Parts: sequence; C-alpha cells; structure tokens
Amino acid sequence: MSLFTVLLWILVVPVTIVLGLAASWIVRKVSALVQWRVGPPLFQPAYDVIKLMGKEILIPEEANKSVFMMAPLIGFVGVLLLSLILWNALAVQRPFVGDVIVAIYLMVLPSLALILGGSSSASPHASIGTAREMKLVMGYELPLVLAFIVVLIKTGGQLSLAGISQQVPVLSISGMLAFIVALLCVQAKLGFVPFDIAEAETELGSGVLMEYSGALLALWKVMQAVMLVALPFFLMILFLGGYGTNHLTGVGAISAIILLIVFVVGRFMSGRSKFLDVMALLSFIGICILAGLGKYVLILVLLILIKNTNPRLKIDQAMKFFWGFCTVTLVVSIILASLGNYYNVSWL
Amino acid sequence: MANVIICIPVLLPLIVGFLMLFLPSKLSVLFRASTLIISIVTFILAIVIFTSGESQYSWHILNLAQGEFDLTLLLKVTSLGKFILLFAMGFGLLITLYSLKARTTADVQKNSNIYYGSILLTIGGSAGILLSNHLLFLLIFWEIVTASLYLLIATGGKSSNFAATKSFTMIGASDAAFLIGLLIVWSIQKTFVISNMHLAADSTLPVIAFLLLITAAITKAGAMPLHTWLPASGEYASASVMALLPAAIDKLLGIYLLVIVVRDIFELTPGILSLVLMLIGSATIIIAVMVAMVQHNLKRLLSYHAISQVGYMVLGIATLTPIGIAGGVFHMLNHAIYKCCLFLCGGSVEQQAGTAELDELGGLGNKMPWTFTACLIAALSISGVPPFNGFVSKWMVYQGVIEMGNKQTGLVSGLWPIWLVSAMFGSALTLASFVKLIHSIFLSRLPSSLKEVKEVSTLQIIPVVILAGLCVILGIFYYLPLNTFIYPGLGLEAETPVLSLWSAGLATILIIVGIIIGVLIWFVMRLSANIRVVHTWNCGEKSDSDNLIVSGTHFYKTVSSMKCLKPLYLGQEKGYFDIYNQSGRLGLSLTSLLKWLHSGILPMYLTWVIIGLLAVLFALCRVW
Repeated sequence: MSLFTVLLWILVVPVTIVLGLAASWIVRKVSALVQWRVGPPLFQPAYDVIKLMGKEILIPEEANKSVFMMAPLIGFVGVLLLSLILWNALAVQRPFVGDVIVAIYLMVLPSLALILGGSSSASPHASIGTAREMKLVMGYELPLVLAFIVVLIKTGGQLSLAGISQQVPVLSISGMLAFIVALLCVQAKLGFVPFDIAEAETELGSGVLMEYSGALLALWKVMQAVMLVALPFFLMILFLGGYGTNHLTGVGAISAIILLIVFVVGRFMSGRSKFLDVMALLSFIGICILAGLGKYVLILVLLILIKNTNPRLKIDQAMKFFWGFCTVTLVVSIILASLGNYYNVSWL
Repeated sequence: MANVIICIPVLLPLIVGFLMLFLPSKLSVLFRASTLIISIVTFILAIVIFTSGESQYSWHILNLAQGEFDLTLLLKVTSLGKFILLFAMGFGLLITLYSLKARTTADVQKNSNIYYGSILLTIGGSAGILLSNHLLFLLIFWEIVTASLYLLIATGGKSSNFAATKSFTMIGASDAAFLIGLLIVWSIQKTFVISNMHLAADSTLPVIAFLLLITAAITKAGAMPLHTWLPASGEYASASVMALLPAAIDKLLGIYLLVIVVRDIFELTPGILSLVLMLIGSATIIIAVMVAMVQHNLKRLLSYHAISQVGYMVLGIATLTPIGIAGGVFHMLNHAIYKCCLFLCGGSVEQQAGTAELDELGGLGNKMPWTFTACLIAALSISGVPPFNGFVSKWMVYQGVIEMGNKQTGLVSGLWPIWLVSAMFGSALTLASFVKLIHSIFLSRLPSSLKEVKEVSTLQIIPVVILAGLCVILGIFYYLPLNTFIYPGLGLEAETPVLSLWSAGLATILIIVGIIIGVLIWFVMRLSANIRVVHTWNCGEKSDSDNLIVSGTHFYKTVSSMKCLKPLYLGQEKGYFDIYNQSGRLGLSLTSLLKWLHSGILPMYLTWVIIGLLAVLFALCRVW
C-alpha cells in the first residue's frame, strides 16, 4: 500500500464526519419542512458540536468515571471502524471474506457503548434507558439477521461486502420485503422515532444520555452523525447494489424521481415556494446522484419520513413488532427466496 | 524424550490426590503446597509434551479372549490431545493459585483434604483422558473426573449435597451410556485402540454406539437436554470449583470426546446424525440463553451461559466443514478461558460482598477495579463483541454454517438459515444477559450495605487478569492460536479456511483508527481539566441513595411476560423440562406401583402366582 493511498484513507475519516454532519442537517431540515418550519442553516450541527466542545464536563459523583468517559470513545471508534470497512467495500479495495459479519457485529458497538455509558452514570433514568436500549437491540437483531440471510440467499452465499454489492437483491419480492424490514431495523439502530424509546425525552429526559455534557456529549452527537452515514451505506451495499453507476438506470433513477417529488411537495406544502431554494436542493441531489450517492439520499429520506410520521412506541410494542410482524415477514421472504433459488426464478 | 514422561502428568496427580483424600484435613498447608507444586510440574510437563513430537507409552496389564480383549495402559501423544492438555493443565494451575488465597466457606476448610485431593484427581484424570489411546482407560479416567466433580461440589456445604448428587447421577448415567457404546464399538471392531478405529455410521449398531458416545460427550460438556446438573451445581458449589470443572475442563473433555467420536472413531458424513447434532447445538444456544436472561443469581446465570455456549461448539463441529470444526474447537478453548474468568470474578464478588444475588449488588466497579475490568472483558468476549476472542470463533462457526449451506446438499445444509439465525441471534441475547450482569454488579449505584467492600488479594487477581489478557490477545492475534494449536491439532492445513482479516489494507486502516483514538483520548484528557463532579441529577427530587438503585434483575421482564413465552418460562421454573426431575417422577410412580403390588394381602400374591403359572404354561405348550 503506497503512501498516497494511506493518506487517502486518513482523509476518509474527516470526510465521513463531514458527511455525517451534513446528513444530520438534512434530517433536521427535512423534518422542519414536514413540520412547516424553516429549519436550521447548513452548518448548525457543526456549530452545536463546537459549542459543546467548549463547555464544562459534569460527572456524577457515584458514576464509574472511567467507563463513563470511555463509553463515547468506544462507540465513536466502533462506528468509525464500521464506516471505514464500508468505504473499503464501496471502493472495492481488496476486501476480506466474511467482512459482512464483522460489519454486522460492529454495528452493535454504538448501542453497547450507549448502554455502558448510561449504566455507568448511576442515574435511575439512565438505568431504565439502558434496559430499553438493550431490549431494543434484542428486538431488531433477529429480523436484521433474517434479512441478512435473505441477502445471502439472493447473492449465492457471498460473504464479502464487495461481492454482495455487485448484485441488487431489492429487485425481487423477497429482497424488497427484507429491505423494508432492514430499513426499520436501521431506524431503531439510529434511535429515531418511533424507536427513540431509550432516550424518550418526555419521560426519561433523554435516558441513557441524561448525565452527559460538554465534550463527551459532543462525541455522542458526532457518533450519531457518523451512524447516519454508516448505516444507510450498509443497507445500500446489502440491498441496492452499492455504489456505482452501473445500476444508476434502475434504482438510482427511481430514487432521483422520488426525491424530486418529496422535495417539491415539501417546498410546496411549506408555503414559501422559493425557486432558488428548490434549485439548491435539487442541485444537491443531482450532485449526490452523480457521485453515486442517490441511493444513499433515498434511504436517508425514507428514514426521515418514517421518523416524522409516527409516534413513539412502548418498548414491549417495539419488541412484539420486531419479533412478531417483522420476523414472520422475513420468514416468508426467506422461503420465497429459497424457492426462487431452487427454481431459478430471480424475481421471487 | 523418554517416553515415561507422558506417564507423570497422569499418574503423579492421581496417586497423590488419592492419598490426600485419606489424610486428616488439618494438614491444609501441606495440601496447598503439594497441590501447587504438582500443578506447576504437570503444567511444565504439558509444555514439554506439547513442544516435543509424537510419542507413546504402553503398560501391558491383561489379555483375554485370544488378544481381542486387550487391557493395556496405552498413552499416546496426539496433536489434538496435546494442545488441549496444555490448556487443561494451565487451568488447573490457575485455579490452584486462586484457591490458595480464596476465603472459602467453613465447609471447604473442614474438607481441605477432599478439596485439594479432588483438584489433583481432576488434573490427573483429564491428563489421562487426553493422552489415553485406549477407550477403556479413557472411560476409567473419565469416571475419575466425574467422581472428583462430585466430591468438589459436595465441599460447598450442606446445601450443595443435592446438587452434587444430581450432577453425579446425570453424568454417571451418561457414563453408563459411554460404557455400552464402547462395548458395541468393541464388538464391531474387536479393538479398544482409538487410533486403529474407523467406523462408518451407516447400519443400526454403529448408529446406536455413536448416539451413546455422543450422549456421554454432551452431558459432560453440558448441552441440552442433559444440562440440568450444571445450573443446580452452579448455585451451590464454590465458584472456583465451577471455574475449574464445568466452565473449563469439562468443556475441554466433552468437546475433545465429541471431536474424537465424530472424526476418529466414526467417519461422520452429512446426514441424519449431523442433523441431530445441529438440532442439539442450536436448541442449546437459544433455549439456555433465554433462561439465562431471567436469572437472579450470579452463578446460576453464568451456569446457563456455560450451557448455551456449548451449542456453538456442537454446531461448529457438526457442520463438518474445516472452518466450522476449527471454529468449534477454537470456541471450546475461548469459552474455557472467558468462562473460567467469569466464574472466578463471580467468586471474588461473592466472597467480598457476601452474596451472589444480583439485586443486592451494585456499583462495585469503583471498589473492585481489577475484577471489574477482567469481568467486563470476559463478558464482552462471551457476547462476541469484536475484537475479543469469542467473536473470532463465533465468526468462524457462522462461516462454517454458511459454507455448509453453499457446498453440501441435503436436508441439514438446506436448513442452514435456522442454524445461522439461532447462532447469531443467540449472540445478541448473550450480550443482553451480560449487560444485565455487568449493570447489576459493577455499574448502577453502590448500595449502602456494600460501602466497606474491598478488592480481593493479589493472588486472586493474577489468574483473572491472565485470563482476561488471553481473551484480548487471542482475539486480536487470532491467527497465532489457530496456527499453533487448532489447525495442527485437527490436521488441517494452516490458512486453508478463509481467514485474511489481517490483510495489509485493513491493517493500515486499523492503525489509522488507532491514531485517531489516541488523538481523541488526548483531546478528552486535555478537556478533562474542565471537569466538575456533581450529584446525579434526579429531576430535582431529594431521595435516599438506596432508592435510586435500578437493579438489572427486572430488565427483561418484558420478554418473560410475553404472551407466548410466559408459560414456557413458568414451566421451566417448575422444572417440567428437567430430565432429572421427570425421570425422578417416573421412578417414584414405578415404586408406588411396586408398593401397590406388595400390599401384603394374600389374594393379591395368589393372583400374581396364577398369572405367572398361566404364562409359563402358555410358553411351554405353544406348539405352533
């Protein structure tokens, strides 16, 4: 590996963070549009992080201080590692076999870090948040594994992310079902409404994050921003054929159309139809699509729309949803996919 | 190397341990010293045996039936046996070290001859099993380990008698199955020498023998449905006993036997038998971990995990793919390491806090930092969090399962989604269970009753830290154990299975991430000048500190009160699914039937006599 590529890989980290902050701006902006508000300027997430960095850190007296301070670091490192592996697969740098399983396991690290952080902060609210976060992980892990199996069946047992990204499982019934459920799992992993049960501002006062402040809280915010890049990338690789223009005609074009509609309708409904504003958003989308990121924006917008149109669930409802409805759906789609494999019917 | 050296790790501990059982328990210092010396000697010998080549030792004892029934103490160093031997002796040494300082119950002190004698018997017996090339002697050593387990559990005090009896009954029954299976094998092959055996499990008799031998293996290892001795003993036996036998050595021995049966004695091909193994494996993973999740007692919870993890080993070996088998055996090794560590940590907590009930503990992380760190690392390993060792072996098992689904045909491989789901989802449930454990013991808040708790002595910290360190090293540099122990032990070519995680590209990336971590830590440290310690914010309400404790024991009430799972949990609590209880109930009803027959009333006996007479007459006069 030459010095140049090493330097390039070092660049990947700030790029991911910047992209993550931009994505969290999109989340806030689109949410604002849906709720008939103006929304924050582009640099607002960055301002927030910088402001938090300068604030004092408060640590509860009874907390386990080392775990309390290490937890955000563990989560941040885990999610960075995950995004590096995903970038690696997207750029098809000599990948290693089985990296998709490593990726699935690395996706647990942010939740685990949240759990350890909340648990070590000695706050009863955070303890309840911890329990809920863990139950949520238990809930979505089952359908996520099942969705992964559907992908494995559709791609013929490929075990490398780069290999999987050469195919597009979503262009079949089983793959579509698996994609929808996996999208909901990602929604829960991100802690977005309706699965923001562990933070639940109104009843737990942001639960697991309750005692965090200053630079540590900033680290959590950056971690969640990077997750906004990594998790949609993961879905993109698994289901949508990854990065690349070869599938642009298919999924890419559809996503561009849907986005266009979403933004135009959003602008229209907000009542302040500013031509330049729409053009700015459209050009942003256009650049993303040109850069092969149209699918990414599609996933992001779907997540945002689910977030803004649903109320929060209770934890037992969420678990029942994942273990009941989602699991059954995926069992059906596994059967469909196996049948399709057996009889060589690719659309099943 | 003189071949007699192989004999020493077997015979020396056995003889000394046996003698120790009959000495008065007042000589405690002598027992400790001799156990320590002998365990060090056997460990050094195990290293010598591991580094030297193959060798044999035979001691002719008896020969019957024209050489067919040949009783010879036949010890042979095999590449699989010698690596497991190395680790078994290592665990023996670590537990001896831990026991030296452990403040044990009065019962253990009263029975120190039995405690240390049984530890030596265990060491010698397991060395015998791993070196023996003669099935009958393997069985004898196997029985020695069973008996010493009984003695060790029974040192836990009066309440442990029930658990000891249960363990002895269940393992003893499986040993009987072992004996029958062994005789069937002998009747077909006319030899007891393992290296001369090679059976195809295709007709009825070999299949029965196979199932009987497997029963012995999985009972020792603690897989379902013959697992119930494990939680029972986990609750009452002392933690060091649990760490030595059920957590470490029993797993090594059980899986060793399983591998030998599947690969050496029989030649297993994918089919109905591997389906049975797969079913046992995945059911064990899921069911045991679901039960573990709702336990309230620290040691009982750990015991259920000791069951659940066996599932991964069985699953990996039953895939019959190189990477699956290697993963299964590697998981056996990893499990022994982290579960031993967890039990020892649990023992330390119980010793210092005086209780193993999760809802009476909390906040000990600040009081016992070393134990906490080791326990956290071991807990993350068992949950399969990268980059610890448990992750690597689970990862290999998953790959084995997927490879089986891709390459083999038939029912077993067609059902690979089920095996994969149970393994991967089981791992998430394990994480949940250990989050609860770590939260309830070490994090959360310190109850006022535990204000005086202190860290354990250095001699008890050392074994735990060594084991936790092994978890990290075997996880990050996983190719070292694979290339030195596992692949040679299984006769696989090194690097055959797809393992190139440590590719140059990724290594660079990891280094970069390392640098970032460094910078971040520096950054946070710099900011930490700006830290203020405050009270926990409680929404402005003033409350007693003990009232703010949210114990982890009810974390998963949501799961156990789900409509479809609730009856299962209730039934499990009442022991409906316990073969030991059920067979006990069966035995009771049989005896009550006999009681009813022996009522002492003459007409009853007369009736039986007449019925018997008629039966005899019928049998004699049958003409057709």
